[in-house]
Amino acid sequence: MRRADQIAGAGLLLLGVAFAGAGLRNYTYWGAAGPGSGFLPFWLGLTMAVLAAWLLIGATRARASGGRWLPEGAGLRRLVTVLGVTAGLIAVLKIVGMAVGTVLFLVAILRFVERMRWRSTVAIAVGTAAVNYLIFTHWLRVPFPVGVLGF
Amino acid sequence: MDFFANLSLGFSIAFTPFNLLMAAAGVTLGTLIGALPGVGPVSGVALLLPLTFGMDPVSGIIMLAALYAGSMYGGTITSVLINTPGESASVVTCIDGYQMALQGRAGPALGVAAIGSFVAGTIGVVLLMLMSPLLARWALSFGPPETFALMLLGLTTVTGLTGDNALKGYMSMVFGLMLAMVGFDIISGDARYAFGINEMLDGVEFLPVAIGLFGLGEVLVGAEQVTDMRILRARYGVRDVMLTAADWARSRGAIARGTALGFLIGVLPGAGPTIASFLAYTLEKKVSRHPEEFGRGAIEGVAAPESANNAASSAAFVPMLTLGIPGSATTAVMLGGLMMWGLRPGPLLFEKNPDFVWGLIASLYIANVMLLVLNIGFIPMFVRALRIPYGVLMPLIIIFCVTGAYSLNNKVWDVGVMLVFGGLGYVMKKLDYSPAALTLALVLGPLAERALRQSLIISDAGVAIFFLRPISAVLTLLALSAVAVPAARALRQAVRGRARAAAA
Repeated sequence: MRRADQIAGAGLLLLGVAFAGAGLRNYTYWGAAGPGSGFLPFWLGLTMAVLAAWLLIGATRARASGGRWLPEGAGLRRLVTVLGVTAGLIAVLKIVGMAVGTVLFLVAILRFVERMRWRSTVAIAVGTAAVNYLIFTHWLRVPFPVGVLGF
Repeated sequence: MDFFANLSLGFSIAFTPFNLLMAAAGVTLGTLIGALPGVGPVSGVALLLPLTFGMDPVSGIIMLAALYAGSMYGGTITSVLINTPGESASVVTCIDGYQMALQGRAGPALGVAAIGSFVAGTIGVVLLMLMSPLLARWALSFGPPETFALMLLGLTTVTGLTGDNALKGYMSMVFGLMLAMVGFDIISGDARYAFGINEMLDGVEFLPVAIGLFGLGEVLVGAEQVTDMRILRARYGVRDVMLTAADWARSRGAIARGTALGFLIGVLPGAGPTIASFLAYTLEKKVSRHPEEFGRGAIEGVAAPESANNAASSAAFVPMLTLGIPGSATTAVMLGGLMMWGLRPGPLLFEKNPDFVWGLIASLYIANVMLLVLNIGFIPMFVRALRIPYGVLMPLIIIFCVTGAYSLNNKVWDVGVMLVFGGLGYVMKKLDYSPAALTLALVLGPLAERALRQSLIISDAGVAIFFLRPISAVLTLLALSAVAVPAARALRQAVRGRARAAAA
């Protein structure tokens, strides 16, 4: 936790300074009528820098390193897999379409992460895709990506 | 006469078949979401917002408000039967609720929670109905300085009261405000911090952020935990949840005190049902004639917090509807929804959209009646839903997050934003930052900036304008004290820590 606070503190300190600087350089701080578009960004960036510095200093001075905040072993694997598969679904959404994407995603998670039996996996995956299609495409008329197969 | 005309207008809207259907769907889903650990009312509202786009705003808010009320009821089921809170406002119910269940009194525990919730929820709506028009009329006189001071107060109190780490809470809030700066500035027309990306010219959209933080983020926190959900064998049929005369005599006072305290806490900007439930439990233990029974299955220990969280969830609508300042994380997401539906939250809402406000109020009465029936007669149905393994629920929620984010603009970009904020929400949650403060800041940011700039334009005295007008002075001082108190505490701790280090 201490290391995470140090990283977050340093990163947000830089972000705050850059945000305030960009606000001053690119936008008007004070115009003819009053505060311009750079006014609030400058102060927000500055506030963030001060708060982040406070966090960074506090974390560096703390003697205890704090507990681990990321899970280890199976928990971490599951977390990374779920995030990765979700990112994969988003990446191929345009190509395979929402319906097929939903089925592939659910099969990947249920069968290969949760180790569910094939029969229940397929039933849940196809059922969900169908219900989703009904609600969003049929009822709410959201034009989902249809993919190369046409649905 | 105005009042009765408004109320009957409200009921005429709430009683249309479609709105009744939306209320029924809301209460059922809400009870379910409340009961399932890992998804709470904030996630529920964020996930269901996309479904409301095609609807009339009043139907949308009816569903979301019914869901919010339902989640307050449903959380109890899990607390009592599994000793795991279904959502954060039922954490304290675990203490005595689970003890009662172990003693074979799960029925009365669930029964008193349902009745207390109904009484508190209904009285809460009565007070909401009586208080809001007065508050809205008062707030109509607010100029830009008062509006800005009010938003500042809302931001600082939400940040100060949610989360354990005040410094990280304020960092989350400032980060949310920074995100709110992205995109076209309405006054100057500058495209700020857009980096030439077309999608960012319109700013960081609220919905993918909310779905990411509260939908995907929460699910990821759940995904790493391998939970062992053992449901206590208990009887909770209709006849089992009825209270005996002795139970009723002990609970009456607790329900009344919980309702009063819960409403009071809920009206405050920033303090929602969770805080109300904890305070109500503490109060009940203090006034009880047998405090030693608390923690060993005292029925008051269930009645008071469960009443308080429902009163608070009704009360949270007061500042949201009248001032445009949410009283809880859930109403903060609803506020974002209001803006997406094209409504302008604030005192004018009562004048310009009476159908919306009064339809909502009327349907809250109906929702509470539906919930009483649901939580007396259909508990076994919800317990069965608790048997769905998290491994199945998790990917289904993720699919819902993806489709919901996509349906906003039909752009994969928004789904990507959702994913990024999902990851961020996970990290924030694990490291004690406050996703609620970030969300509220993102919602209020543009309005607050406009009010700030307008105030400074009309001011001859610079920022002193906020202290020269009486109402804005009081609000600004309150907001500043909400920042100063935790800051002073942190400083004192730092000084004491150094003294200890020097002594050692």
